[in-house]
Amino acid sequence: MKRLAIVLAAAAIGLLAGCGPSRTPFHIIAGSEQKSLEPLILDFCKQQHTECRIDYKGSLDIGLMLDAEAAPEVDAIWPASSLWVEMYDSRRRVKALKSIYTTPVILGVRMDKAKDLGWVGRSVRMTDVLSAVKAHKLSFLMTSATQSNSGAAAYLSMLASTLGDGSRLDPSALQDAAAQAMVKTLLQGVARSSGSSGWLKDLYLDTAKAGQPYEAMWNYEAVIKEANDVLRSRGGSLLYAIYPAEGSTYADAPLGYVEHGQGQANRSFFDKLQAFLLSAKAQQQIASSGRRTAPGMASPPKSEADWNFDPSRTVPSIGLPEPAIISKSLTLYQEVLRRPSLTALCLDFSGSMQGKGEAQLKAAMRTLLNPSEASRSLIQWSRADHIIVIPFDATVRTVLEGDGDATSQARLMASVETETAGGGTDMYACASAAFKAMQPYLNKGYLPALVLMTDGRSERENDFAQVWRTEGHQIPVFGVTFGDADKTQLNQAADLTRARVFDGGKNLTEAFRSARGYN
Amino acid sequence: MALSRRSLVGLGVLGASAAATGGAIVFRESPIVRGLIGRSVALKGYVGGEKMAFVENPRTIAALKSSALVMTSERAGSVEQVRDPKLLATKPQFLWPSSAPLVELARRSAKVLKDEVIFNSPIVIYSWKPIAEGLIRAGIATREGAHYYVDARALIDAVLQRKSWKDLGQPDLYGRVRLTATDPNKSNSGFMFAGLAANLLSGDVATMDSLPGVLPKLTDLFQGMGFKSSSSGKVFDDYVAGGPGAQPMVVGYENQLVEWILADKDRWKRIEGAGGPAKPVALYMKPTVFSAHPLIALGPEAIPLIEALMSKPLQEIGWRDHGFRGPLGSVGAQTDPMIAGRMPDQITSVTPMPDIETMLTLLKSLS
Repeated sequence: MKRLAIVLAAAAIGLLAGCGPSRTPFHIIAGSEQKSLEPLILDFCKQQHTECRIDYKGSLDIGLMLDAEAAPEVDAIWPASSLWVEMYDSRRRVKALKSIYTTPVILGVRMDKAKDLGWVGRSVRMTDVLSAVKAHKLSFLMTSATQSNSGAAAYLSMLASTLGDGSRLDPSALQDAAAQAMVKTLLQGVARSSGSSGWLKDLYLDTAKAGQPYEAMWNYEAVIKEANDVLRSRGGSLLYAIYPAEGSTYADAPLGYVEHGQGQANRSFFDKLQAFLLSAKAQQQIASSGRRTAPGMASPPKSEADWNFDPSRTVPSIGLPEPAIISKSLTLYQEVLRRPSLTALCLDFSGSMQGKGEAQLKAAMRTLLNPSEASRSLIQWSRADHIIVIPFDATVRTVLEGDGDATSQARLMASVETETAGGGTDMYACASAAFKAMQPYLNKGYLPALVLMTDGRSERENDFAQVWRTEGHQIPVFGVTFGDADKTQLNQAADLTRARVFDGGKNLTEAFRSARGYN
Repeated sequence: MALSRRSLVGLGVLGASAAATGGAIVFRESPIVRGLIGRSVALKGYVGGEKMAFVENPRTIAALKSSALVMTSERAGSVEQVRDPKLLATKPQFLWPSSAPLVELARRSAKVLKDEVIFNSPIVIYSWKPIAEGLIRAGIATREGAHYYVDARALIDAVLQRKSWKDLGQPDLYGRVRLTATDPNKSNSGFMFAGLAANLLSGDVATMDSLPGVLPKLTDLFQGMGFKSSSSGKVFDDYVAGGPGAQPMVVGYENQLVEWILADKDRWKRIEGAGGPAKPVALYMKPTVFSAHPLIALGPEAIPLIEALMSKPLQEIGWRDHGFRGPLGSVGAQTDPMIAGRMPDQITSVTPMPDIETMLTLLKSLS
């Protein structure tokens, strides 16, 4: 009898749990370009008395998350483009995917540069961009095409422009030597890359604030507007919007439900959230931010002729191929066409890394320095890359160099495998050694980056800024932390060099992978 | 052995009780009674994206509930739902694709207990007012009253000849004319458009004999479209979301725009009142093909669903709220004033689809 009562009580609790809203927060994974719309969502959640959590990931990460064996523990995704869902959601986990707004990826060119190039007030073709890059008159920021949607969009537009009238990506461009040479030259214009469109905008704004703005940036029309709103408020020079005449690749910002048996309450909340974002009220707020909304949903913001912004203007889109061809295009970018990387990896083998730390660091390197493992996340090296690996403790243990050839990577990995943790910590000694090792390769067309991985605090730091200024050649210094590392020093180095720090506390491999996406 | 009186009385009570119970069971199994007592049968199945709004309409749900039916529907492309073993392995009780020839395909993959065409909708091209006006200037479209008609063969030829928008009277758009359909191997509107294009290029209804002669052009037409979605509903959503720059011309069902207008009447009023190019229009192709929407019952529980969907109330919801024509292609009795006159009463120029063998051969070449 007592047992029956327990069973009945449990059943009643189960039933109640099935009826009520989920106790865990409604979890959304969004692209970084949605960040400025976060308050809109959180206000709605508050009104609905539902706790919401929004985390930001790159488009590829969202795709890989959908593709994983285990269903992701998230309720909704809001990537930049449905392209990534089409490419990776083979298990059909995403339901009710609907575009919330659209925004084309365009080239924002610093006003004085746009005037110098004679691009103000006239139609600009991708061949004009190519000529400017070739003549060393233009360089730009662009996210990694394999990690982030805005970079992919810019790259696909470049690839499309190489054949025919450029208005459609002809799959034969992937086999065409002249087409590849053209895109390779265009990508020589990349001054800095990243895995996040939002971060790229912040990088531009930071450098503009410091009086050293980059020349241009490929990004969403809406993000260029956000950047210009800040630049205008500071009284700085704006980015002039170039819409390549051949057309642009659009982001369609689709919101979709990720089904993994959460129950009806979660789904109902999602439906309400999607309906809210597509309501006239929310669409008006979204349109005011410079994003394009469907006809009749909202009045577009006023055009701003001083930077060529007119959200009512029809911007033709590039005709994109099937997802399988897009995947091949992205592999071509990573393995052949992108600007080659010059990457130095400083790996902490100090005593505190003994055990778990050493094992995880080696595991991370086995992913990074293994072509088939790395290609799963589209971060594989190419033969054109130059890789420097420096294991360190209180001193630099050795400086290993190689390229992206599989044999060369295996050799680097074999050396890393022989290292064992021990001794003190001085990441600054490693950084100095890395700058020296990179020196002969600078100004040879590489995109340089130093990745400093450490789990501790280095004692000697007083002259790092000075060393970077004299020997660092503007090389960005990314940080990867492990364990409960003190982030202060890595943050200082990243801030100084306009890079960022990745937390490897939970997953060191992921942190290295993310860092690699910025190079 | 003789039975005692008491035994006989006992048997009588038992018999009456059994009769009453049996009667109650029969009575309770009547759909109307089940509906009244709230004991509905939940049916699980796949529905083409273009009918999801109908299925999710609260009026549809209520009308089905009064017949003791609840549809638990998942969106799936019409072609994939009758062919994809992964979808059929989930044991759907019904399928609701958008084309009569697909019933034949379903029969090859599953046991069909009953099928019946519930709605009809002609295949149209969705575009934007300035583009439609350009097509008129280019001499391949006409405007008759409130309706645009386009010469389907001339439009397909223009796409195949890589004509520019400028050639088709639209100098504001850069590049070549682009027309997008869904993936014909997954979704019905693309499947129907492939059949129509095969007919037009063959000069008659395409057959196994005439198909090889037109396959190169058909392959070129579909390859040139690039990325093709697997759902007609998604293509229409993308069309309205993308506007004339991103989505200049897409293949869809006649009812989709009607449904979109009715879903938010204020939005439509704002569009009509606004300037700019973003005014959606349906181009009726001459000739076109009719998309029938047959409900296929795979489980016995789904057979009453066919009866319910054919009932007057649900047929009226289909027309009035969603623009679906009846099984014979006729318009419904009540039309929302917002869309009155928007759809031609008669679609006069219609071609039949090629037979299923020809279509399967065609699909193979387009995969």
